[in-house]
This record gives sequence, structure tokens and C-alpha cells, in this order.
Amino acid sequence: MTAPEPAKQAATTRRFGTCAWGLLSICFTASLLDGAELDEVRRRGELVWAADQEGGGPHVFPDPADPRQITGFEVELAELIAGELGVKARFLQGQWDRLPLLLEQSADCVINGIELTPERRRDYGCSRPYFSYALQALGRRGAAPASFADLAEPGPSGPWRVGVLTGSAAETEMRARSSRGEVQMEVIGYDGTLDSLEQVQSAVLDAAVMDDCIFAFYADRYGKLRAVDRPFAGGFYTVLTARSTPRLAVAIDDALGTLLADGRLKALYDRWDLAGRQQMLLLRDAAEIPPASQRTLVELIRQTLPLLLSSAGMTILLSCASFPLAIAIGLAVAIGRLYGPSWLKPPLTAYVEVLRGTPLMLQLYAIFFLLPKVGLALPALMAAILGLALNYSAYESEIYRAGLKAVPLGQFEAALSLGLSKWQALRHVLVPQAVRIVMPPVTSDFIALFKDTSVCSAITVIELTKRYSVLALSMGRIVELAMVTALIYLCMSWPLSLLSRWFEARLERPAGTTP
Amino acid sequence: MIKVESLTKHRSGTPVLDGVTLAGEAGGVTALVGPSGSGKSTLLRCLNGLECFERGVVSIAGHRLTPGPHSGGVLEALRRDVGMVFQQFNLVPHLSVLDNVTLAPRTVLKNTVAEARSRAIELLDRVGLGSFAAARPATLSGGQQQRVAIARALAMQPQVMLFDEPTSALDPTMTAEVLEVIVDLAKAGQTMVVVTHDHGFAKRAATWVVELAAGKVARQGTAAEML
Repeated sequence: MTAPEPAKQAATTRRFGTCAWGLLSICFTASLLDGAELDEVRRRGELVWAADQEGGGPHVFPDPADPRQITGFEVELAELIAGELGVKARFLQGQWDRLPLLLEQSADCVINGIELTPERRRDYGCSRPYFSYALQALGRRGAAPASFADLAEPGPSGPWRVGVLTGSAAETEMRARSSRGEVQMEVIGYDGTLDSLEQVQSAVLDAAVMDDCIFAFYADRYGKLRAVDRPFAGGFYTVLTARSTPRLAVAIDDALGTLLADGRLKALYDRWDLAGRQQMLLLRDAAEIPPASQRTLVELIRQTLPLLLSSAGMTILLSCASFPLAIAIGLAVAIGRLYGPSWLKPPLTAYVEVLRGTPLMLQLYAIFFLLPKVGLALPALMAAILGLALNYSAYESEIYRAGLKAVPLGQFEAALSLGLSKWQALRHVLVPQAVRIVMPPVTSDFIALFKDTSVCSAITVIELTKRYSVLALSMGRIVELAMVTALIYLCMSWPLSLLSRWFEARLERPAGTTP
Repeated sequence: MIKVESLTKHRSGTPVLDGVTLAGEAGGVTALVGPSGSGKSTLLRCLNGLECFERGVVSIAGHRLTPGPHSGGVLEALRRDVGMVFQQFNLVPHLSVLDNVTLAPRTVLKNTVAEARSRAIELLDRVGLGSFAAARPATLSGGQQQRVAIARALAMQPQVMLFDEPTSALDPTMTAEVLEVIVDLAKAGQTMVVVTHDHGFAKRAATWVVELAAGKVARQGTAAEML
């Protein structure tokens, strides 16, 4: 490296005398902008590379022999690149579709099957291609679709249901083909590649589309699956760096160049059964991809608003469908625990503790991915509504239990003394009062649920937050889209708070009063 | 009409009621008096099954309660015939005065709305609150609320009315207006058991006075003999 190191620069600067401090800081800032990041990596002795081990093999995945360790061809590639820079590689876990965001935080680069696209050329530092992939469609053995031609017509029960990794080239490609009408399919985005394989295996999906090397790697584990037709489309993987670290980008690109030239990359691919020679030939003749041009704000909004609005509708649908269900179940559980027969109490207590004590995400996973294994496949939307309702019913039941206990005992005794049965007393005297007492915490739970709907993206239900994050990352307009999204959220929460105020005011009035 | 035989009840080991025996005539007003903690309220609450007891028998308005937990069916049948008025009124706060009074006739007796309402308005007139039908309990004074509570209990046309210190939470003016209603009821021949500290009231209205002390009947007799 010929560039002067900042320490030397600073030493030179200090000689200028008394007014040196200001000058020093200017120089230091300038040197930061000018690529001090590479020196920072060297000083640290570590190249921090981000990837998602959930994305699976052959890229990066937990070592079957020792799940605390990760393995994969990109793990070895990261070590080779770091070695070229004279440092060690340190792995940083992130969610695949959000890996680029880590570049602004703690990661120096992203090495995880990131496809080279015009948008990424525009928004990030992209290295020369290091791997060539093609897309592969796959389905179940003995079930339609059997070929790509089948996908042009709808399946036996409407459009084909096809799973892809959210934010991947497979998703972009399939959505584009679908919107051009070349294929009749509903494209469903998953957070992990293996999720879509599971769902094809358990017949929730008709097919999945992913990078060919992933299917090749897992073909043995998912014995029921088969390739549908030959690989198609495709492109190259690139090492992503932040725009603000150009020198690091150059160093990584140089390192890749060395690894390509001296055969170590080919040897790596051969070790992983990834057809090293073919890769070398494809990489040698990779065409330059020009960066995409920046969209204007108006264009951006015009393109994204319909998608954002429909996702906002999903947020509303999820909350409004699941919350009444949660309240109904929660109230029933609370009444059962307080006034039910004694044999009913332990199972109801267990119900509350289990649902409250395990993460919502896990419950959604269980409903969506595990129920199909026992032959009970729910559509994603139903699974999401059910999952949210069950999870929140545990919280609602505790709120209603507290509310019922807060009604003075005299109310219950007075109702019983009038000859009302226990259930009539609950129905006419206790529950209406408890409902009024718990209005504030229930309202705040509804708001919490409103936000928690974003967890449903884990089971492919895309609501506003998820849509924002996908759009922001694919378009590289994080701030502008955040403002639009925030505005949509405000437009939703405003009428909501009006509604809850109206409802509270209505409850304040005596019910069924004669005028 | 009311017969209590050697009623015994313990609470955490100590006897609250210890072999209480008493009787009340139809149309009579029995006053339960005695110091705080003597077991008057507990005895009253045993009469309509709000409390269980260990030994003895309660016979009231043709119903019979035996030791141990009571079944829901027995209690509901008994409580149709035995009304109760509490110290703290216990009106249902989210229902109007009228709906408080019609609640039990409509849900328990399955009266029609019109039926229940006309009867309720009659009763509210009787306790002097006919014009408060649409009001919410919280907007009423304590004395007014207690009168609504009496009308509510009367709406079931009970054979026996139980009053648990009905005026203890009220100031003297309000006490007077509530006692007026109770005395009127007594004159009309309503069988009643009243737990009270108010000897003046007992003198005026009671046909029989029972004095409890430490869970036992200390003395009993006519109001003239006792007070």
C-alpha cells in the first residue's frame, strides 16, 4: 500500500505549530473519508463479514459436526479474503434481507450469496463476481408442476403457490415474470431458504425457486423434491461493502482477483463440489453490470405507494381479525380460572403460561410449519391470525382476570342474592364492569398487537413494516420510504385512537337506559 | 317462616356462630343486635346461603339449608324468595336505576321488558324515586341508592327480606329516609330480618329482638322487653 498512514499524516501535521489542532482534525476527517477504514481493519486485525447462517448451505450454515461453528464455502472464502488483507475473518450474524444495513453498523462487508444487480451497483460497493448462479425451480416428485411450461397456466386449484427467499434474485425474477403474465403464480416470500423447501415438502407450496447450488446441496435431505426443468436466468454473487469504504472495497476486489488468478478459488469450489472449472469460465467472461440510475422522489412514491398501501391493509386486517378473537378466548380463560370448576384451572393456567412464556415468532412457526406435518395445513393468513389471537389471548386473560377481581365482591353477592345464577351474574353484572375497568390496558394491548403483526412476515404474511424493509433495501431509499411508511402508520393510528376514545365514551354511558 | 336451629360456624378455627337457635314469624320483623364481631352479619348471610356453616339447619321461606357447600340450584331457588339489602347498596354502576330494578325479574323470572318496567316504576314510586328511573346510581345520594336497592330486592316479590346494617353507611338525614321505607314495609306485613345498631329503629319496627354476643344468643324477646 502506497497511501500514507494517518499516524504519519498526523505526525507531519503537528509540525505546523500552534494552529495545528484544527488542521489536524480536518486532516483526520479527510483521511477517514479517504479510506482510513482499511487501516482500521488492519489495526483491528479482523475483517468483520456479515451473513445469515439460517440461509443455509452451501453458503453459510451451522457445522453438523459442531453446531456452535459455522461452515460453508463462503466461510472459507471470507477466511481467504481476510488472509489476503493480512487479518483474521470474524463472522457477524444478520437476517439475510437486512445484511446490507449492517454495513453502516459493525460489518466491513457482506459475503452471502448477494446477487450483483444494477441497484446494488448504485447503492453499495460491489466486488468483482466471485460465483455464478442460476435459478432452479423445484417441486414434489410425482406432483405438478412437472415443467416450466406448466407454470404458464394456473394449477389445479388456482395460481401456483411458489416460495422464494424474500429479497432474493429469485423473488425479483418470479415477481417480474408473474407481473408480465408469463407465469400464473402467487409468489410467497420466506425469511429462510429452507422454510420454502419444508413447505414444498409438506405440500403447502406447489414449488420453490432458489439458486441452483442450494437445491443441489439439500437435494438428498429433501428426498421428496425434484428439479422442475433446467436452471434458468441467474447471475453472479458479489462481496458488498459500504459506499463510504472505497479503499476496503478495492482491497477486497484485489484479494478476489488474486484468489481467482492463483487457482485457490477454483480449488475451494472443487472442494465444495461446485464445479470449479465451470465457475472459472463463467467468472472470466462475466459482463460488466452498469449501475442503475437514481429514481426521482415522485417516481419512487408512485412505484411504491400501491404496494405500501396494500400492505397497510394487511396490517389492519391482521389486527382487526385477531384481536376480537384474542379477547373472546382471553375472557373465557379468565372466567374459567376464576369461576370454573377446579379441574379446569390447572390446564387453563398452563395455557396462559405456555403462550405467554414462549415467543410469538415460535408460536407462528409451530402453527405454520409444524401443523402441516400432522396433516393440518393452514393458509398463511389464517395461521397468522390464529397465532396472534392465541398469543394475545394469554395476555388478555390476565388483564380480564385482574379486571374481574377488581369488581367489588359485593357486586357478585348482590347479584347472587337477587337469584341470578353464577353465569347470569357474570354476564350481566361482573363482566360489563370488568370490561370498563380494563379498557386502558386492552387498548394499549391492541396497539402492541398492531405493531406485533410485523412478526407475521416470518410466515410469509407481508404487512407494512416488512414491505417497507424489503422496498427500502431493494431500492436503496431508506429515509424517504421510512417517511412515507411513518405517514401511513399515522393515518391508520389516528382514526384508531378516535375510535377507541368514542368506544370508551360510549361505555361511560349506562347501557340500555330508557330516555 | 324462619327457623334457625343450633347453627354453628367456624372461621379459621374460632367459632363465629356457636349454636344459634331462633325463629321468626311470617309478617314479623326480627332485629339482630349486638356488638361488632358478635356474628350478626354472618348469621344473616347464612340465611340466604352467602355463607356456609358446619352444623345446624336453616329453614326459610320453605327452603332448607344444611351444613356444607350448597348446590347452585338450591341457592337460586331460595334467593328468589329471600331478598337482601347490603350496607354498601351494591347497585350495578353501569345500569340505570330502572335497569337495576328490572335486572332480576328479566333474567331470573323471565318477565317481559314491559312487565318488569311497569312493576319497577311502581316500586320506585313506592320508595319515592319514581323520577330517577333513568339516572345512574353514581348520581344519587347514599340514601337514594339504598332505597333503589330496596326496590330492586322487592322486585322479586320475596317472602323474606334481609337487611344487613342498611343505614350504617348513611348520615342521619339519609338514615331517616331509608328507615321510613323499611318501617312502611314492616307495616305492610313484609317478613324481615334486620341487622342493626339502631335501637330506636328496633323499638319502632321490630316485633322480635335477638341480641348476639360472641356468636351466641345472649338474650331475645319483644322490643319492649329488650330495649
